[in-house]
Amino acid sequence: MKQQVNPQINCFVSKLLNVYFVYAPVRHGDKVFAREVKTPKEVDWSGQLTENPWKEFFLPHRERLFNISGGKLAPIKNQEPLVACLGMNILDLKALMLFDLVYANDISYQDRRKNIVFIGFSPDWPNDYKRLKVFSHNFEEDILEHINFDIFIAKIAGAKGKKETIKFYSGSSRGREILECCGISDFANIQFAGPISETGPDKRMLELSDKVGRSARHGLWNTLDEICLACGKCTIACPTCFCFDFQDKINPENSRRDRLQGNCFYNDFGKVAGGHRELDTVKKKIFFWYTHKFVRVPRDYEVPGCVGCGRCIRTCPVGIDIAKNTRILSKIKPVK
Amino acid sequence: MINIYQPKPVRVIKVTKESIDTHLIRLKFVSAADQKAFAYLPGQFVQIGFAGWGECPISIASSPTVASKYFELAIRDVGSLTHKLNQLKPGDTALVRGPFGNGFDADKFKDQELLVIGGGCGFVPLRPLIVDALAGRIKTKKLQIFYGCLNEETLLFKKQFAEWNRKAELGIILDRPSADWKGENGLITDLIKKREISPEAVVVMVGPPVMYKFALKELEKKGIKPENIWLSLERRMYCGLGVCQHCAFGPYYVCKDGPVFNYNQIKEIPYAL
Repeated sequence: MKQQVNPQINCFVSKLLNVYFVYAPVRHGDKVFAREVKTPKEVDWSGQLTENPWKEFFLPHRERLFNISGGKLAPIKNQEPLVACLGMNILDLKALMLFDLVYANDISYQDRRKNIVFIGFSPDWPNDYKRLKVFSHNFEEDILEHINFDIFIAKIAGAKGKKETIKFYSGSSRGREILECCGISDFANIQFAGPISETGPDKRMLELSDKVGRSARHGLWNTLDEICLACGKCTIACPTCFCFDFQDKINPENSRRDRLQGNCFYNDFGKVAGGHRELDTVKKKIFFWYTHKFVRVPRDYEVPGCVGCGRCIRTCPVGIDIAKNTRILSKIKPVK
Repeated sequence: MINIYQPKPVRVIKVTKESIDTHLIRLKFVSAADQKAFAYLPGQFVQIGFAGWGECPISIASSPTVASKYFELAIRDVGSLTHKLNQLKPGDTALVRGPFGNGFDADKFKDQELLVIGGGCGFVPLRPLIVDALAGRIKTKKLQIFYGCLNEETLLFKKQFAEWNRKAELGIILDRPSADWKGENGLITDLIKKREISPEAVVVMVGPPVMYKFALKELEKKGIKPENIWLSLERRMYCGLGVCQHCAFGPYYVCKDGPVFNYNQIKEIPYAL
C-alpha cells in the first residue's frame, strides 16, 4: 500500500537532502533497512524497526584510526561528511545514547558524531499523554528528555473524527537551527536531562543486573550451550554491541591502524599469544555476552546494555530469545 | 581533544638478557616531558608495540622511583610482536601507551607480613613491589618471596637473588631443573606447603590461572584469609580503558578495574580464575 506522507515532512526531508547524506528507513518487501536515500519518497514512515542497527553510521565496521608512516602513527584528520540519520526509532536513539557514553573520550567517534544529525521518529504518539501516566510514562518527560537527538518527529494520532498531526521537537541547538532553516517554527524544545531518570537508575535493570551476575550456575546456560551456534549474528544485529579490536595493516601505499567492530562469539576474541582463549566454550561466550548487556553496562553507565529492540531474536538462526531468557533469569531469587 | 589511542615514542637505553626467552628492556620516552609525566604504581602495565605490529600489554618491571628517568619491561618471547620486542637494541624506538590498571595498593601491605608469590613470567610485576619493600618505601613487617619457575633457564632477575635472599626470605622452586640445581624441586604449591607462613600474612600472587587454582587451596590451609590475598590477572587487552571488552569478566575489566584484584572481590565471579 502506498504510504501517505505529510507534506510538511516531505518538505523537511527535501531540504535535508540538499545538505546532508541522508540515511533513513527504506522498505524492501516486508522488511525495512536503514539505507542512504536520495529522494523523500524513498523513506518508509511506517515506524517499523530497521533490520540493521544504525551503529554502522556512527561507529563503522572498520575505521582508520592512524596512518602509519616512517614507523609513526599519525592521527587521521578526515573531513567527516555531513550525515543525517533520519527516522530513528526511540530504541535506536537509546542505543546511540549508550554509544555517546561509551565513546565520550574517543576522538574518532566524536569527530564523526559532530557531523551527524540524529532525527528520531515515532509513528504512534498517543494524543493523550495523561492517559499513559498510569503506566508512569510521559513521552516528553520520561523518554524524550533522556535520549540524545537533534530533532524528533512524532506522528500524533487524531482524536475521534480528527486528522493525525505531526509534532516536531528539537533536542539541540543544531536541531533548532535545522528546523528553522526548513521553515518549521512550531516545534517544542526538549532539554536533555541526562540518560538517567530523575528517580535514579531503573530498578528493574538493577535487579536483573544482580540476577544475571549471579546466574553462572543456572541451567539456562547449559541449554543455550547446546543450541547456540556461536555464529555472532546477534552481536552484529545488536544496536548496543560496541566491542572492538585494533588491526595494523602494512602495504606500500596504505599502511594504517584500524579499529574493527569485535565479536565476542568469534574464536579470536580475547585470544592471547600462544593461542589461549578465555572464552573457549559456547556457554562462556553467551554468558559473557549477557554479562556485558546486563551487568557491565549497567554498572559502568547506569543504563541498560539492551534496549529491547529484538533484532537478536529475529536474526538468531536457532531461535534464541533474549526476552524469554531474561524472564527466566529474573525468576532467580534476590539476595536478602 | 586528546587521542586516547595515540602511543608515544620511547627509546631503548639498555637491554639485558634475563632468561632463555626474556629480555629486560630499559626504556625512556623520547620526549622529556612525556618521561616526566610518566608516573605509575607497581603492578600497572603499559601497551607497547610498533606501527604496523599492534600493541601488547606488558607489566612494568621497574620501581616507580626511577620513573622520572626510565622504566623497564621484562618481555617474554611468546608471539610475533614479543619476538620483535625481544630484538630491540639500545637506540631503537618503540611506541608506548599507559600506564594502565590499578596497580598494588602499598597501604594494604604497610606493617604487614608480606608474602609475594610469582609463577613463571608472572613474577615480573612483583619485582617493583619487592624492590620498593626492600628499600623501605613500603614498610612491611616481614617479606617472603616465593618464586616458582620451570627451570634455571627461565628464571628472571637472577642477579638480584643474592640481595633479596639477604634482606628477605627468598624461596625458589623449579619444576624441571637441571641435574646441577641445588635448590628446591617441585611446584610453587610445594613451597607454600613447606615454608612457615603466618595466617595473618598478606599475600600478593601473580602467575598463570592453573597456579592460582592450586596455590589458593594451599594458602587457605595455611589459614590465610581471602581478604588478605591479592591477585593480578592476565587477559588480552586492546584499549586499556575498559571499552573494547576483550579483558572483561563478570562486572570487571582487567585493564581498568585490575589487573590487581582482592581474592574476595573475584572468588565468586565465574571464569575469573
